[in-house]
Amino acid sequence: MDPVAAAVLGSWTLDLRAVCLLFAVALLYLRGWLRLRIEMPHKFTARRPAAFLAGLLAIFVALESPLDTFGGLLLQAHMVQHLLLIMVAPPLLLLGQPVLPLLRGLPRWIFKDALGPFLGSGGLRRIGRALVHPIVSWSALATSIVVWHLPRFYELGLRSQAWHQAEHACFFWSALLFWWPVVGVWPSHPVWQTWAMIPYLVLADLVNTGLSAALTFSDHVLYPSYQLAPRLWGISALDDQTTAGAIMWVPGSIVFLVPAVILGMRVLESVRSRPAQRAAASQVSVTRILAKPQWDLLRVPILGSILRRRHFRRWIQGAMLLLALGVAVDGFHGPQVAAMNLAGVLPWTHWRGLTVIALLMAGNLFCMACPFTLPRDLLRKFAPPRYRWPAQMRSKWIAVGLLAAYLWAYEAFAFWDSPRETAWIIVGYFTAALVVDSVFKGASFCKYVCPIGQFHFVHSLISPLQVKIRKPAACESCRTHDCIRGNEQHRGCELQLFQPKKMGNFDCTFCLDCVQACPQENIGILRTLPGESLSGDHRGSGIGQLSRRPDVAALSLILVFGAFVNAAGMTEPAMMWMHRLHARLGMSSMLPVTSIVYAAGLLIIPAALAAGCGWISLRAAPANTGWKDLTCSFALALVPVGFGMWLAHFSNHLVAGWSSVVPVAERFFTRIAPDSYPRTWMPGWLPSLEALFLDLGLLLTLYTAWRVARRVSNSDQAALAVVSPWVVLASALWAAGLWVVFQPMQMRGTMLMR
Amino acid sequence: MTITNLLFPAILALSQATAVADGGTVLFRDETGRLAVTVFASPSPLSAGPVDISLLLQNQNGLEPVLDAEVSLLLRAESSGVEIRAHATREQARNKLLYAAPVTLESGKWLVEAAVLRNGERAEARGVIDVAPTPEMAMSYLSYIAFPLSMTAGFVFRERLIRRKLKGRA
Repeated sequence: MDPVAAAVLGSWTLDLRAVCLLFAVALLYLRGWLRLRIEMPHKFTARRPAAFLAGLLAIFVALESPLDTFGGLLLQAHMVQHLLLIMVAPPLLLLGQPVLPLLRGLPRWIFKDALGPFLGSGGLRRIGRALVHPIVSWSALATSIVVWHLPRFYELGLRSQAWHQAEHACFFWSALLFWWPVVGVWPSHPVWQTWAMIPYLVLADLVNTGLSAALTFSDHVLYPSYQLAPRLWGISALDDQTTAGAIMWVPGSIVFLVPAVILGMRVLESVRSRPAQRAAASQVSVTRILAKPQWDLLRVPILGSILRRRHFRRWIQGAMLLLALGVAVDGFHGPQVAAMNLAGVLPWTHWRGLTVIALLMAGNLFCMACPFTLPRDLLRKFAPPRYRWPAQMRSKWIAVGLLAAYLWAYEAFAFWDSPRETAWIIVGYFTAALVVDSVFKGASFCKYVCPIGQFHFVHSLISPLQVKIRKPAACESCRTHDCIRGNEQHRGCELQLFQPKKMGNFDCTFCLDCVQACPQENIGILRTLPGESLSGDHRGSGIGQLSRRPDVAALSLILVFGAFVNAAGMTEPAMMWMHRLHARLGMSSMLPVTSIVYAAGLLIIPAALAAGCGWISLRAAPANTGWKDLTCSFALALVPVGFGMWLAHFSNHLVAGWSSVVPVAERFFTRIAPDSYPRTWMPGWLPSLEALFLDLGLLLTLYTAWRVARRVSNSDQAALAVVSPWVVLASALWAAGLWVVFQPMQMRGTMLMR
Repeated sequence: MTITNLLFPAILALSQATAVADGGTVLFRDETGRLAVTVFASPSPLSAGPVDISLLLQNQNGLEPVLDAEVSLLLRAESSGVEIRAHATREQARNKLLYAAPVTLESGKWLVEAAVLRNGERAEARGVIDVAPTPEMAMSYLSYIAFPLSMTAGFVFRERLIRRKLKGRA
C-alpha cells in the first residue's frame, strides 16, 4: 500500500474513554433488548440492535477515525464527520427503539429508585414531549446547523478543543431530537400525522441546501483556519471548501429526501392502523415489564457449579498458600530491593490493588481465598480448640488497635521497601492465626483480630454481592439451623452469622460454609444495593446494630482517615513537609515525626472531627437521639469516600506497576537475573479514573448520610441540619483526596520512569 | 542580513493568524530547501505544561507529505535560556503524516528550531511560539468537581419530585 495512504488510514484516535463509553452503552442496550425480546418479540426484532449498534459504530467512526484526525486540515473530512453525527448516527440509533432497552438494561435499583421519580414526573414528561415536538426539534437542528456553520462559530470550534466538542454535542443532540418524530420512537405518541413529516424533511433539506450552496459557490474561503492550514496533495483551500459543500449537499439531501419518499409511499398505501397500534402498545406499563428473577452467582453456568463444589475454597486457599510461601521465601532469600523481589512487588502492588477491585466488583474474595486459616484448619483435625472467645473481648477494639498500628508501622518502617520485613509479616500472620484459632473456637482470629479482615469486612458493605438466603419462606420451617450450627457433613458459619437474620456483608468471609451446610440449598450469592446496610438501623445476626457500636465506628474512622493519610504520605509535598518538621524538631530519626503525624491523622483528628460533627448534628436532631448513636451512624456513612481513596491509591500502584511481577517471577523461578526491569507506566487516563473513584465514593457517602439523617429526623429541614456537618467533613476529605491524586508521587516498589 | 532574518517577519506574520489542524494549532510555516515545514502545537490554546509539537513535511513540488525524514527539535526559552531537545517521530503522532514530540514548556516565548535530515540533506526551520501560563488550578479540576455537584443537584431535584408526589397524593 502507498505509504501516505497507509499513514492516513493509520491515523486513528482511539480515546479510551470514548471507546469504553460506547461499549458500555452497547452492552446496556443489548442487555435490555435481550429481555424485551422475550416479552415483545414482534416489537424488538433483530433489526433493532443491528440499527442501534450501527449508530454507535457511526459515532465511533466520526470521532475516532482519521476523519477526526484530518478534520482540521481538510474541510471535506470535517464535513463527513459532521454528516455522520447529524444524518447517520442519530436515525440509526433511534431506529433501534432505544428507550426501553436502555432503561431495561439498567440495574433495577437505578431504574426504579434513582430514575423512577424523574420518569414519573408530569412536568418532566411535558418538557420531554415539548422537546420532541416537530416544530421544536426541527428548529433545534436548523439553528444548530446554521449557527455553527457561521464563520465566527466554526472558527471557535477549530481553535478550541472544548468548543469543538460542544459543537459536536449540539449537532448530535439536536439531530436526535430532529429524527425522533420521523422515526416514531416508542413509547412516545406521534404528535403529527405521518404525511406531515414529508414537508418537515423537505424544509430541513432546504436549509441544508442553502448552506451547502453557500459553501460550494463561494468565491473565497469562508473559514480562515483552512486558508492557513498546510494544503495536502495540492488541494487548495477553495477546492476543499467546494468539495465539502458538495458532500453536504448531495449525500445530505439524499438522507433527508429518501425518508420523505418512503413516508410518502406509506401514506399512499394508507397505513392507518399504525397510530392505533402505537397507542395500544403504549398502554403497556413500562414498570410491569421490569419484573425479573433474582440473579444468583451460584447459579451462573460453569462458574456457579465451581463455586458450589465442596472443596473449591480449599483449592484456592491452597493456591494462595503456595503463593504466600513463595513470597515469604523470596522475601527472606531474594534480593533486598523491593522492585526486584516478589515480597516487594506482589503484596504491595498487585494483591492490594486486586483485592479492592474485587471488593468493588463482587465482594470479600480475599477472605474467601485467605491462606492464613488453612494451617489452623489442618491442626484442628488433630487438636480441636476448647475455649470460646472471651465475652469481654467480643468487639473490634483489638482489631482497631492492630489496624492503627499496622498503618503506622507500614509508613514508619517502610514495609513496602523491605522484602524481608514483608516476609516476616506473612510469617507473623500465619503464626497469629494458628495460635489464636488453636485456642479459641470458631473463626475468632478473623472476627476479632485480623486487621486485613476488618478492612474487607467494612468495605464489603459497599460490594454489589452478598451471601444471603434466596427465599425467606424456606427458612421459616427450618428447625435445625444448619447454616450456623452445621451438621454431620459440613460445619456452619464460624463467624456466627445466622442467615435468615444476616444483615449485609459485615463479618462475612464468603467462606460459603453456610451454602454447603444448608440442606435446602436456600443460600446464594445474590445482588445487593451497594452501601444499603451502611444507613440501616437493623439488628444483624452476629453483629448487632452496627449504628450502635462505637468499636465499628472507630474501625470505620481509622479506615477512612487512614486512606487519605496513607496516600498523602506518598506525595512529594507531604514528604517534604515531614522532612521540614523533622529538621525543625532536630531529631536524628524520622520515627517520632511519622508517629506524631500518624497519631494525629489516624486517631486524634478523626476522633475530634467525628465528635465535633456529632455534637453539631445533635443540636439539630430530635430530643431522644443520643450523641453516640448519631456519631456511630454517620461514621459508617463515611466509609464509601474512604473506600474511594483506597481504590484510587491501590489502583494507581496496580496500573503503574502491573508488569513488574513478570521479571521478578522469572528471576525467582530461573534464578537468573533478568536483563531489565519494566519502568513505571503512568497512562494519561489514570488520574481521571482515580478522581472518578473519589467522586463515586463521595456521592455514596452523601447519599448514605442523607438516609441516616432522614431516619433520625422528623422533616427534611431537620435532616438537612443534622447531615450538614458530615457533608462538610466528607467534602473536605474528598477535596483532600483530589489534591493527593494530582500530586507527584513516590512510585514505591517499582522502577521510576524516566 | 541573512535570509533567515528576512524570513522571520514573514514567519511571525504567519504565526499571528492561528489555525488548528490535528497536531493542534499551526504555529508557523517555513520553506527550507526542497521542503515545506509546518509546525503545530497542542493543546489549543497553547499553555504551559505538557505540549505536543508536531511537524508536517511536504515536498515543495506537489506538496506530497514526506514520511522518511529524521526530525529533531531544539526549543529555547527566550527569558530563561532553558533548552529542550527532542526527537520528533511519526510513531508519537496521532496523525501519521506528522512528526511529533512531547515536551514540557513553561510560559513565555520560545524559539523553535527544527532540523530535518533526509537523504543526506539537511534543512532547518525556525519560528517563535508564545506559551500562555497554565490555567487556574480550579479550572483544571472543574470537570472532577462538576460530576459530583451535578449528581448531587440531580438527587436534590429527585427528592423534591418525590415530596411533591407524596403531597399530591395526600
